[in-house]
Formats: sequence, C-alpha cells, structure tokens
Amino acid sequence: MNFVGLFQALDTSQSTNAKRDALIEFIRHADVLESAIAVQALTGRLEKKRLKPSLLKYTANQAFVETPWLFEECYATVGDLSETLAILFANPQAKPQTNAPILQQWIERQTTLAGLKPEVLADALLAQIQEFSKDEAFLFLKLSSGGFRVGVSKGLVHEAIARAIDMDRAVIEERLMGPFVADRNWLQRLQEPVTQNELDARPLPFLLANPITDEEIAALNPQDTLVEYKWDGIRAQLIKTDQTIRLWSRGDQDITEQFPDIVDSAVTLPSPIILDGEILAGTPCQLQSFHQLQTRLNRKRITQSLLNTHPAFFKAYDLLRFQGEDMRDQPLAARKAVLETITIQQSPVLRPQRIAEIAAMREAARDLGAEGVMIKDRQSTYGAGRKAGYWWKWKLDPMTADCVLIYAQAGHGRRANLHSDYTLACWNNQDELVPVAKAYSGLTDVELKAMDQWIRKHTIQKFGPVRQVEPLQVFEIGFEGIAASTRHKSGIALRFPRILRWRQDVGPKDADGLAHFHALMTNHHAL
Amino acid sequence: MVSKKSRHRDPLVIRTPEGLYCPKAQAHIDPWRPVDCALITHAHADHARAGSKDYHCALGGEGLLKQRLGDQQITPHAYGDSFTRGDVQISFHPAGHVLGSAQIRLDDGDSVWVITGDYKRDPDPTCKAFEPVPCDVLITEATFALPIYRWPSMDQTMDQLFAWWDHHVRHQRTPVLLCYSLGKAQRMMAEIQRRSDRSVKVHGAVATLNRVYEQQGIDLCPWERASETNQGVSSDLVIAPPQVAGSSFLKRFHPTELAMASGWMQVRGVRRRASIHQGFVVSDHADWNGLIQTVQESQATQVYATHGETRVLTRYLNEHLDIAADRLETAFGIEEGVDQ
Repeated sequence: MNFVGLFQALDTSQSTNAKRDALIEFIRHADVLESAIAVQALTGRLEKKRLKPSLLKYTANQAFVETPWLFEECYATVGDLSETLAILFANPQAKPQTNAPILQQWIERQTTLAGLKPEVLADALLAQIQEFSKDEAFLFLKLSSGGFRVGVSKGLVHEAIARAIDMDRAVIEERLMGPFVADRNWLQRLQEPVTQNELDARPLPFLLANPITDEEIAALNPQDTLVEYKWDGIRAQLIKTDQTIRLWSRGDQDITEQFPDIVDSAVTLPSPIILDGEILAGTPCQLQSFHQLQTRLNRKRITQSLLNTHPAFFKAYDLLRFQGEDMRDQPLAARKAVLETITIQQSPVLRPQRIAEIAAMREAARDLGAEGVMIKDRQSTYGAGRKAGYWWKWKLDPMTADCVLIYAQAGHGRRANLHSDYTLACWNNQDELVPVAKAYSGLTDVELKAMDQWIRKHTIQKFGPVRQVEPLQVFEIGFEGIAASTRHKSGIALRFPRILRWRQDVGPKDADGLAHFHALMTNHHAL
Repeated sequence: MVSKKSRHRDPLVIRTPEGLYCPKAQAHIDPWRPVDCALITHAHADHARAGSKDYHCALGGEGLLKQRLGDQQITPHAYGDSFTRGDVQISFHPAGHVLGSAQIRLDDGDSVWVITGDYKRDPDPTCKAFEPVPCDVLITEATFALPIYRWPSMDQTMDQLFAWWDHHVRHQRTPVLLCYSLGKAQRMMAEIQRRSDRSVKVHGAVATLNRVYEQQGIDLCPWERASETNQGVSSDLVIAPPQVAGSSFLKRFHPTELAMASGWMQVRGVRRRASIHQGFVVSDHADWNGLIQTVQESQATQVYATHGETRVLTRYLNEHLDIAADRLETAFGIEEGVDQ
C-alpha cells in the first residue's frame, strides 16, 4: 500500500478503530521511506508550503482567465483549494496508483516545481495535475501547500506506530519529540532500548475537571474542598529531569520551544520533578489576555523582541512527581503541602468554611482575569482524565446579547456547502445594524440545516461566498470578554463569541443595541 | 435593430402562484398546487403533486405517476406526438432523467418554448436518452451548474462499486448503497445487471417502484425485498433511500458500511457531513458540460434557469456565451442534498 491507498482507507472509514487499524497495517507493510514521509505528513511535520496557496490560486486563475468569478464559485462550494483544483483539472479517466511508493518522488517534484520561474510554474503545475487522478491530485496539492488533515490526530498516528512495532506509547511519544528524520531507519531508531531519562521525561495523563451543577454545589461540604481561581491560559505540565526541561500541553504537544522564558526560570527547580499548572500571558503582577499566548504558539521562531512584548510565566497548582517519587496517589492536601515548599509561582488557595466564600471568590474572578473557580476535593488523588468528584470547575456566566444575522458564509471541511459561519449585528444609535461578532458554532446539526435552507431562500445579495441575508433571524450570543476596538466599525471587540440560542421567539427589533455592550464594558473590567 | 428579447414580448409561459403556466393552452407545467390541467415532466415529488383534475405525461411515465399520485385522470402521450390545447401544440420529448421523464415543447406558431424538467445527457439503461429540441426559449434546470460537477464514466464507477462491495463483504460488513428510490435505485440495479450476476436486497420503497419499472420491461438485477427475517451480514448489496441512515431498518444488517450514489458526492465535505463513508458520483442530472451543451444545442436565444445554481448558469450564459438568460424562481429541487 502507498500513501494514496492509506488516504483512501482513512478517508472512507469513520471509526477511530478502523483508522488506527489502517495506519498499523500501513506502517507494518508499506515501503519504510513511504511510511516515514507519510508520518511526517499526517503529524504536521512536513516542511510546509513548498507551493504556496497563493500559487495554487494563481494557477487556477490562469486556467479561468476569462471567468475568475466562476472559479470563486467553485471554490466556495468545495471549501478547499486543493480539492477544487483536483476536481477541476485532474484526469477523470486516470486510475489512482495505490501500491508503489510515491511520496519521495512527489516531494522531489514539488521542490522542482517550487524552483521554477513564476511564468512557467503555473503551466507546469497544471500539466502535473492533469496527469493525476482526482485523489492523487488532491493529495499532491494538499501535501505541497500545508494544512493536510484527514481526520487522524497526531496522537492516533503515534499510537498506531507504537502498536505497529509493539512499543510503549509514552516512550514512542518521547522519541518522536524534536526533529523527525524521515529516512529508511526511522522505525529501527524507535525500537532502541529505553533509558531512565526517557522514563522520567514522560508527561503524565492530566486530571480534568467537570463542570459543577447547582445540585452538586448544594451538596458540597466546603470544608472538604480547596478552591483556586480557574486561570485562562494553557494547561501544561512542566517537567525537569537531570538532562532536560520540557513543557507539555494537554493536547499531547511538546510546547517547550515556544516558551524559552519559562524554561529559563525552571533551571533553579529541583529535579526530577513534574508540575501541573497553567501557562499565562503577561507577568504575575500584570496578566495579559489569552490572545497573547496564541501569538506565542503560532510563531515558528521566538525572538527576544517577542519575549519582551509577549511575556509568559508558569503558575503551578499541583505536584505529580518529586525527587523520584510518584505523588499522584497522595491526597491533594499532601501534594499541596509539598508544592508550597518549592519556589515557583503558585495559585493562591482558599480553604473555605462556607459556600458563600467560594461564591465570593468566583465573583472576584473576572476582575483578576480568571474564568471562574476550581473546586477540588482535599482528599482526591491525581487520577487520569475526567474523574467524577475530584475536581470541579465553576465558571463565570458568559456575557450575553441578542444579535441579528446579517451575513452567512459556507464553512470549510465537514461544513463545506453548509452556511455555518454567521456575522451578527446589533443596532447603533442611527437604527442601523452594525456587525459585532462572527460566530461559527453553537447550533445543532438540525438547526444548522434548517438555517442553511432559510439562508439560501432569504439571500439579498451575494459577495463571492458571502451571502447578505434579510435581517430577520435573532441569535443570543455569549462571550467571555469585551474590549474597545478601533479596528471594528462597532467600536467593540468580543472575546470568544459563540451562539447560545436561536431566538425564534423574538424579532430583529428586539435585538440589543450598542448601548447594551457599552454598559457591559463599563460594568466589567475589560481585559 | 430588434433586440433579442423583444421577440418574446408576450411570453408563452409565465409563473403563477400555482407554478409555471401557459395561458394560451390553459395548462400548468409541474404545478405545485392543484390546477385543472397539469403537464408533468416526471414523477419525482417536487415535480408531480396530487390534486389536479387532468394530468398529461409521456408514455412510459404514467405507471410511476399512478404509483406516486394514486388514482388520477392521466393521459400519456408518445414521445414526439403532439396534441393541441388552445392554439398551442404540446409534445413530450425524452429527458433521460428517469423512466418516462420528458421535456415539454410548446409551440403557438409564433415561438417555441421548451421546459426541460430535470434531465441528464449520460446514458441510462432505464430510460430513453435525452433528445435536443430546437426552440426559441429554453427553461432549464441548473442543479449542478458549476464546472466542479462533471460526471465520471459509469464503467469506472461500477468498477469502484464492485470493489467496495466485495471488500466489505470480505470483512464481514453489509454494504449499503443509499440512493433515491425512484430512478437512481433502478438505474444502479440495471447497471449491475448489465455487468454481473449479482443480486441485491432492497428497501420497501424501492421494491414498489422496481415493480413499475419491470412492468415497463426494464431489466433489473435479481432483487428481493429486505424483510424482518434478514438478520446479520448480507453479501447482497442493500439498496435503500437516504432516509434510512440511522434508522432501525439498517440494524438487522449490522455491521453495515454506508455508501451513497449521488452527484453531491463529488465534494468531499458534503459526503463527510452526511456521515457517509464512501461516495459514488452518479447523478440523474446534467453536469456542467451537459447543461452548456444542452443550451447550445437548443439554439434558444432566451434561457430561463429554474432551480439549482441558477445564478452561475445565467451569468455564464449572459457574459460568456452571449445568450440572454434570467433566473426563474420555482419550488423545484427544494430538497437540496437529495439528488433526485
């Protein structure tokens, strides 16, 4: 089997088990260089953008030189640039080759293409696409332009590799850290004997919190709990061994390289140690918004100037390993006691006597830039996953507003051809609707489908893929923060807006005005 | 100089609340409300509705119409034969969409109008092939009027279908092909029959229509109606309408593997959103090239597009083929996502 065959197997199976089995099968039997490059491609390790999306677009425009709008219509319907080109230009008679290895050859061809002069590049690329079947063309373009996704996570690929060669999953994760060399020995290297350092540097499964219900709050004995703020950052484990310092996010990602400042400050920690906590933007004295952390995560290279403008630090709230000892079986109170002897930024702890104290702390959260509070059972051990009765989160209620749908656009991927991206507006003082938020989710599939039909029938105007609709539908949106903005026509920017409810019970005249947002901004400390 | 449009100042067909209407013939075409005289292009639900007094359709289509509408006053007409209402000569011409589907030609001696209904240009063993009808004004569908819609050959699709079918039977899963029960199901069965001695099990909705097709002499592959006694994995392909996905009908064949045969399957995101594992691109509508070819062969100087990607088709005709084209909103094809 080659990569095209693997793709077809992954793309046509929807259960995770079936996908994992297809991956295991492929890793065991495919040409070893083919599987090496395939692993790079499936886990986002392939050097991105040998051919830029703008080049794919240019190629399409050359082919549709008389009717560029027609290409735009096609693209809007398909929702994916590579797929659009593949459908339009691949050879419909060609049968995909699904056995002999192709990836090495493809990468070379892409590199050759990328080196061509712009005048000839578009023609050469088009000629290349026309040789392929639809699936081959799609994969070739997808691989060359980055953003390749086929519904398998990095974790699933790593798990399949571990199973295919019968190795411990965590060790494989550890060995797949850092640069991945796609050569004929990649599988062999993964099977070498395990070292102590590798064992110590493994992140442990995170304990996750459940949202608390009103009944659970009523049933709570406050004296059994510890309460902390729920920080709005990146949940992470900070790991130090005798040889290495690592930061792991909950998404199974090594994010060490993104936070050299945190690594620097961890040098003085005792080792080996594993701390659980939150990466936060700003400094302990002055928190910045979560948005600032995104910038750190998205940059390939972290420069000194970025460290100055976007500082970050680690706030610890749990201790999982200490001086070679696994702390997870000890109760939270005991872990906290040891943690407090270690010099590192820590989350303040409330040992409440009454529920009212917890509620008061939650009320104070917004002003501190926290999202609410965490309530933790003092006797709880550190289990893996979402354990009932260990940790609860009690979040602040989101701020809300009723807004009118004015534009809709088709989504991408699974939502291609379905109008799922909404622009919502509120009334200004001149009785005009001004956009305040773009929201992508929050409706059920049934509601989305019904709205899609409605949107198609109530379109006033089309601007490429965007439809302006009659301003009739009202949605309640929720958001976590609000700030003044000079970039938006409405003068405000909302943080994490999403649709809470389809207000079929009210009309557009009942939607909120800008005054409502200004009141929220004054009442709440804007982040 | 006389502009193109002025020749048809008095239109032969207009839109009324009941649907497309020819005042001179006092006849509606595929009306969506009850009327006195209904000219029907084909039996799909968005084109053939019950309650009208008189129905006219192409010979070969009356069986399906009866099946769909119950006992009605239906007059079938052989393809190409004309009859007169008012001063208008009316005739039915093959549309190649499903059994008995027709384009409707209206001629008042002054101008000729053709309403295509739904149609396709690809070969289909279950119905007579589309015939181009020269006219002054063409009223066409535009379901798949985008260049991304170009249909692969049936040979290629059937190879894929058989490989997929065998693969899942080998892995102890029942292959289930979801497709529209009127037309698509029988077309797939006729294609299976032409290429193999395979047999299928069908949902009740498909079985009823299969009988009508067989009465008209259409050669389908061996089939039986899926019954309560069918339990466990079937090595026969199961053919059922898309509505059965997630219903108890499929439980008896568990574990199942779902595929869909539809023109919409051309786009990966559409297939994935429908939670369909495998898509086969088979449509009973014209693809982009088929639509353009049809407009050109009709020699019409004015085109109206009724449903689907009407904006795209009319803009393309106006701007690039220099053919006057406008949109004509109708209630056809409103069940978007189901390829009828």
